[in-house]
Amino acid sequence: MSNQARQLSAADFSPVSLRPDAQGIARPSQSYWQDAWRRLRRNRRAIASLWIVIFLLAFTLIGPLLWRVDPYAQNLDRISQPPSLAAQTLLVERGVQWEGVTLDDWPAGPSQAWLADPERGELPAPEGFEVVGDPHTLSVRLTWQPVPHAAGYQVYRNTYRPTAINELGLPLGETWAGNDVGYEDQLALTPSTYWYSITASDGLRESEQFVSIPVDVQLATTIDSALARGLIPSRDAAQAGDYVAMPANPFGTDYLGRDMLARLMYGARTSLFIGIAAPLLFVFFGTVYGAFAGFAGGRTDDFMMRIADFVIALPFLLFMILIRVASGIGPGESGIMPLLLALVVLSWPATARLVRGQILQIREEGYVQAARLLGARDHYLILRHMLPNTLGVILVTLTFAIPTAIFTEAFLSFIGMGVAPPVPSWGSMSNEGLKSMLNSPHELFFPALFISITVLAFNMLGDGLRDALDARMRSRE
Amino acid sequence: MWRYTLRRLIQGVITVWFIATATFAAMHMVPGDPLGSERATTESIRQNLEARYGLDKPVFPDQYLIFLGSMARGDFGISFTQQNRSVNDIIREAFPVSAQLGLLAVLFAALGGVLLGALTAINRNRLPDVIIMFLVILGISIPSFVFAALGQLAVVRLNDWSGQSLLPVAGWGTFQHMLLPALVLGLGTMAFLTRLMRSSMLEVVNTDYVRTARAKGVPPLRVFWRHQLRNAVLPVITVLGPAIAAITTGGFVVELVFAIPGLGRTFVEAVQQLDYTLIMGTTVFYGAFLVLMVILVDLIYGWVDPRVRLS
Amino acid sequence: MPVKEQHDYALTVDNLEVEFDTYGGTVHAVRDVSFGLRRGKTLAIVGESGCGKSVTVQALMGLIPMPPGRITGGSARLRSAGSGPAGSGPAGSGATELIGLRERELNRIRGNRIGMIFQDPMTSLNPTMRIGDQIVETLRVHRGMSIREGFKEAERLLDRVRISEARERARQYPFEFSGGMLQRVMIAVALACSPEVLIADEPTTALDVTIQAQILDLMQALQREEGMSIILITHDLGVVARMADDVAVMYAGQIVESGSVEAIFHRGGHPYTLGLRRATPSNDPENRQQLEPIEGSPPDLFHPPVGCGYFARCPHAMQICEGSMPDPFDLHQPSAAAEGIRHSARCWLQHAQAPRTAGLNQNDAGREEP
Repeated sequence: MSNQARQLSAADFSPVSLRPDAQGIARPSQSYWQDAWRRLRRNRRAIASLWIVIFLLAFTLIGPLLWRVDPYAQNLDRISQPPSLAAQTLLVERGVQWEGVTLDDWPAGPSQAWLADPERGELPAPEGFEVVGDPHTLSVRLTWQPVPHAAGYQVYRNTYRPTAINELGLPLGETWAGNDVGYEDQLALTPSTYWYSITASDGLRESEQFVSIPVDVQLATTIDSALARGLIPSRDAAQAGDYVAMPANPFGTDYLGRDMLARLMYGARTSLFIGIAAPLLFVFFGTVYGAFAGFAGGRTDDFMMRIADFVIALPFLLFMILIRVASGIGPGESGIMPLLLALVVLSWPATARLVRGQILQIREEGYVQAARLLGARDHYLILRHMLPNTLGVILVTLTFAIPTAIFTEAFLSFIGMGVAPPVPSWGSMSNEGLKSMLNSPHELFFPALFISITVLAFNMLGDGLRDALDARMRSRE
Repeated sequence: MWRYTLRRLIQGVITVWFIATATFAAMHMVPGDPLGSERATTESIRQNLEARYGLDKPVFPDQYLIFLGSMARGDFGISFTQQNRSVNDIIREAFPVSAQLGLLAVLFAALGGVLLGALTAINRNRLPDVIIMFLVILGISIPSFVFAALGQLAVVRLNDWSGQSLLPVAGWGTFQHMLLPALVLGLGTMAFLTRLMRSSMLEVVNTDYVRTARAKGVPPLRVFWRHQLRNAVLPVITVLGPAIAAITTGGFVVELVFAIPGLGRTFVEAVQQLDYTLIMGTTVFYGAFLVLMVILVDLIYGWVDPRVRLS
Repeated sequence: MPVKEQHDYALTVDNLEVEFDTYGGTVHAVRDVSFGLRRGKTLAIVGESGCGKSVTVQALMGLIPMPPGRITGGSARLRSAGSGPAGSGPAGSGATELIGLRERELNRIRGNRIGMIFQDPMTSLNPTMRIGDQIVETLRVHRGMSIREGFKEAERLLDRVRISEARERARQYPFEFSGGMLQRVMIAVALACSPEVLIADEPTTALDVTIQAQILDLMQALQREEGMSIILITHDLGVVARMADDVAVMYAGQIVESGSVEAIFHRGGHPYTLGLRRATPSNDPENRQQLEPIEGSPPDLFHPPVGCGYFARCPHAMQICEGSMPDPFDLHQPSAAAEGIRHSARCWLQHAQAPRTAGLNQNDAGREEP
């Protein structure tokens, strides 16, 4: 619309007095920490990490009070069980020997003539291979039809379905007569599905013909052992054939049948103790050292920093192990304190360097110079200006030091140079879990998961803190 | 530049001296003086030790000076537990294995880190960035032994599935043996470098000189190579020294898990068997190697960045 | 509302609009900006920091990062010499539309037909490339020169921007140069392909005062030699007085007044122009007066005001100013029509009904005497 085309009234051109708000917008001022907290709260990842950290601490400190299972108690009939909530066990009488199956109307072995026959063929696999009764962890009873000319049978067991003669698995045992067609597997099993296979033998040569059946084996406990472990109150309270409830293993059990959840909780104590105590100590020491060097300046500073440089140059992991050896901890022994000591001795220089740099920088800042001109004393400068302005950096360093320390512990324990079994730590549990990784991956998975989550949470919290505390970020937005 | 190199080398020698002294001190702090001749496994080793280390003389200064002297000559002595084998021999055998593995891992980590980091920075907040950064977070948070275990599991499954041995699960010998361990070894460092490269690249993307290049009409690809990548890589080079140290450290686990006869495994075994001369020799050798690597990386940096080279 | 008259323009900009998406919302950084750059002349765009002057020229050069930036409207035409009187035909008759041009085509113009230099020479050159290489790069991209030829040419260019020992200098790195020298290098880079238009974005702001004068002299000398047109972005009225033929005053993303340099300095028609003048120190001892700061700060461009952007700070603000922004008013200039460009201001005080205001050059045409 053209200017002149508009019809305007005289009132439009009456002057307006100067508006007071022209002087700019006054926003409520916020202190450094208020502002940082506000920014941290807006960072969703950091807040989620904070909750994870709180959860982990609760898991470690309160967990064992709620989950009262002994992390050291071994349960050899529940080895390497996958995670399950409810579990029950079949009660059986102890040591009832099975007499097996022997056929009276069948020859015990092949005739000499048959054996001497060079043209004789391979024996077929037995027919009618089946389970007798209820198979359970203490006893699996098998029977089959006899094979003509057989002089005995071989029984095998495997954890998967065999497809070739070399996959039959563990040779359990054999029978020594062609009419002996029963076998009892009494090797304490863990509840699972097994593939039993059988081959016939004519006394000279084992046949390559086999037959396999899957058997679901359920957990069983003898009444004596159930009584001893407190599963039943008294011998009269239950009888063979009853089912009684077992303590559940929500995270499964390890290779000695110990409850993984309880071990993870106790392991968290070790891992988090080292992971938090060591950084607290070395960040504190490094801060004091760096602040002193930075404040003293000159030759003292040079000398102190040269020492720090030397310590940084030490190959970290080798000296972690060396310090452990030097404290007289042999292989296979647990040394939590030497581990802590080694972490502190080798890790402080990074913090010292950082804090010294900050102090040197702040010393030259205008506001410190101004305070000095106004007659501020050293301790006032340190308390009022230097400390608050380095605290953010120190806090961030601390947060990032925790995952590193946890990693180091896990790493050393994993190669057997840190916390050693039976003391649980996430690292030593991972070490044990690695051995049975193929068959029961949960033994490696859970400790590794806890390490990863903890490290991740502290890393993201550190990122969030750094963003929130970085004074340069304040002016943006 | 030559004076700088010389100065760095002298500093390096002093640092190695410090490492050797610290090693010596640590070994003599072990309760019951492990270097005492009664720990030796056989009579012949005992005599050898006494002659070589002056074990009948006081620890300081005699034994210390003898120790420093032999270290300076590059003579690490004789193994406690492996009769008639010198530590030098053992290192000479094991180190090339670790070095090959480490080199491949560093190569893998550096190339991967730089490329992925640059890729995420250019695609900031878009799908490739989000995916890669998620993987990077996993890479930083998951311990290397888990990667090693998962890698082995994957190879087992792969070999099962294909019905032939595509990759060896463990051991040493061929290039195929190196592939998986090096990948596992480099993974953590690659994640770290990716992150660094990304932030470095993001800083460079908005610099004035990149704007100048665009204002000159330089095509995007050339801007990327000549102006962005080259400058963004500089901070990555500075952390390559620590990265090499981290990878050598990680070698311990990888060598154990994959049964690789490298220096890391040698060291762990030496500690388990309390083979003190081997422990000391390996530590000082590793320390010197790392110091040399850091100096080398610094010199490379100086060569790449003219601001350092010419000042 | 085209500005074109009888002048020969090297570059014309019409109704340019630029926005930025930020976390706080959309910033309307450039709003309805139009101007013309006369061939062989210098146009100064003046305004305080944040008023959108840099964004305007970066939009022309396609240097606005997108996202978050966005050009939402307008056009900018680069006219080749001898393409006839401007405005005589649509874009296409010797004129190239810059807005919306594809990156490939834009790269044929940037550094070739339009050169640009920036505020901070210390950071505007690649620290890891030799000076010579950075000049050669332009020549290689646009002229396809070999490195050897390019280096020869680079040395010649360094010579032209009065850098001594050009041969050695070309083989050095930016950190070996002083700020003033680097700005000369930047000029050499920008002029490597003899562009028709040179855009100088605050070229002297980061430099020492003594160096500033040298750089300005150099630019003027080169303009005489090459006959190029210059867009000079600055907030320094001293630089404007020294360099400019024409001036556009920007405020809050809009051009509030434009005209020849004498018109702006002596017959300012917008209160902001006057405010700027009063806030600038003068080194003329005869004409010493109290400096007056402009009270307040520019408006929030997240929510640009509907009316005049200067309303809140204007000492002469009227009721109408708050609610609407006028189109440019032509200011009465009997003799200047043939000499300079049209003098216009976007201020209601130029309306025939507005009250007379002391110190302000008001349009008398059609004004009803009170």
